[in-house]
Formats: sequence, C-alpha cells, structure tokens
Amino acid sequence: METGSNNSLPTQFPVSHKSFSLNIKGNKTDIVICKYDDSFMVMATQIGCMGTILHARKEESVSTDPTFHVAVIFGKRDEPFLVACARQLIEHTSSYGSTRPLVLSLGLKDHSPVINLPSVF
Amino acid sequence: MASEELEENLSELQIGENGEKKPVENDVSDGAVKVSCFTEDLQDVTLHFQIVNFSKQIYAWIGCNSAKLGHLYAAATTRPNNNVSVTSLLGGTSDNTGSSIARRIVLKTGLNVVVACNIPKDSPMLEATAERKLVERLASLGYFRPKEKHSN
Repeated sequence: METGSNNSLPTQFPVSHKSFSLNIKGNKTDIVICKYDDSFMVMATQIGCMGTILHARKEESVSTDPTFHVAVIFGKRDEPFLVACARQLIEHTSSYGSTRPLVLSLGLKDHSPVINLPSVF
Repeated sequence: MASEELEENLSELQIGENGEKKPVENDVSDGAVKVSCFTEDLQDVTLHFQIVNFSKQIYAWIGCNSAKLGHLYAAATTRPNNNVSVTSLLGGTSDNTGSSIARRIVLKTGLNVVVACNIPKDSPMLEATAERKLVERLASLGYFRPKEKHSN
C-alpha cells in the first residue's frame, strides 16, 4: 500500500531522480532512485539512514551469459540476502540493456528474506 | 504490489528524463526524505549539488561539469572522543577529493554523512568553493548544530 508519492521532475538538472514512500509489511519505506551518467543509485530505508551500501556491476565476458559482481562496501557484510537483493536488481536493470553499475543502500528493519526483500523489489 | 510499482517507477525514470525542461533548482519532499537539487555556475565550471536528507543521515552528491557519481565517502563520529572518521567506499584511493568535505560536514552537523564527489583532483580551490556552497545550503536547511569548540 502506498503511503505517499511524488512525481519525478524532469529538469535541467543533470541527475534524474525519483523519491516515493511505500508501506511494506507495516513499515514505511522511503525509496530514492537517482540516475547518474555512469551509475544508478537506489536508496531504500525504513530506519532513517542509508543502512548497508552495496555496489553491483555487470562484467562483460566473451561468453553470451553476463556475470555480475556484487559487494558490500559499507555496513552489514553477514546478510547474504542483501547481496541477493542487489544481485537481483542489477540483473533486472541489465535485462533492460543497461550496463551501468548500481549503488544500492538498504536500511531495513527486518532482514528476513521471506518477509521483506521480495516485497521491496 | 510493491515490486510492480518499483518496476513501473524505474521505467518512468527512463522515460521521464527525456521530458521537458524545468527550472534547475527544485526541492522534492515527501515528508520523510527530502531531495534538494541545485546548480551553481562559476566562471569556468558548473557545480551540481544533490542533497538527500534522511532523518539520521545526509547523502550529498557534488558534480563538476558532469553527472557522474564520482568517488563515494562515508564519514561519522566514532569512539572514543567522538572524533570524525572518514572512509572511502568507492574510488578515491589516491586523491581523496571530497573526503575532507565529508569530514567537515560531520563536524558541523553531527550527523553521519555519505558524500559522492567527482571534482577532479588537484583542485583545492574548486573543492573549497563546492564545500562552501554545500554548507550554505545545509545551513539553510537547518542542519547545523550550535557552534562547539572542535580540536582538529
């Protein structure tokens, strides 16, 4: 259920961004998506700060199947489902033809994969 | 469903950036997270600023003539004595342009800060100007705590 939303504002500002709020399993989740020239930044938080920051990039290889490199660059490094979330998102953007790396920040109250991560993305 | 909404928003973002031009400076607020964007035109460079205000943290991006993300730094007060520590998250291993900005924002605001900056290295004057503009904006947003004596 959506608790609040706003409209994206295509402007002369070089970075496009969109921010909105969602209610996920009773937790208000603020999401900000920014598009830079060379990367995407996605921030999803339920705790008022950025939380764990992950970096995901697509690695081109000679084979037809792309590979992806995902790493935690700040925060919890013992939550594998955060890495899985970033992996899922970079694969999603890659499926649309984008080769830009992704910086994902997740500040979630509950890291349970069954409850939270499928709902977020 | 939340995932469908996010996919829709991502596709809208792709389409939306090709839209009509609007005034450069805009503030978008949804009540909890505020995104502020503004541009400063200097003599020979154009500085772009983006500030995302979370309740307990600040994210700031500084662009110099481009919209690349640049180097990413995190800064916060750490134990003991609440001294400010800065770490490089992405890039910035040799020139550290932006790390001093992150550190001084923490000193002034007391909040955790994540700064992304693509100012070229060996540009101390440009870095100082960018920091001054960013600090002015943060002050107008009410993020500065009362002045305290800091030992550097």
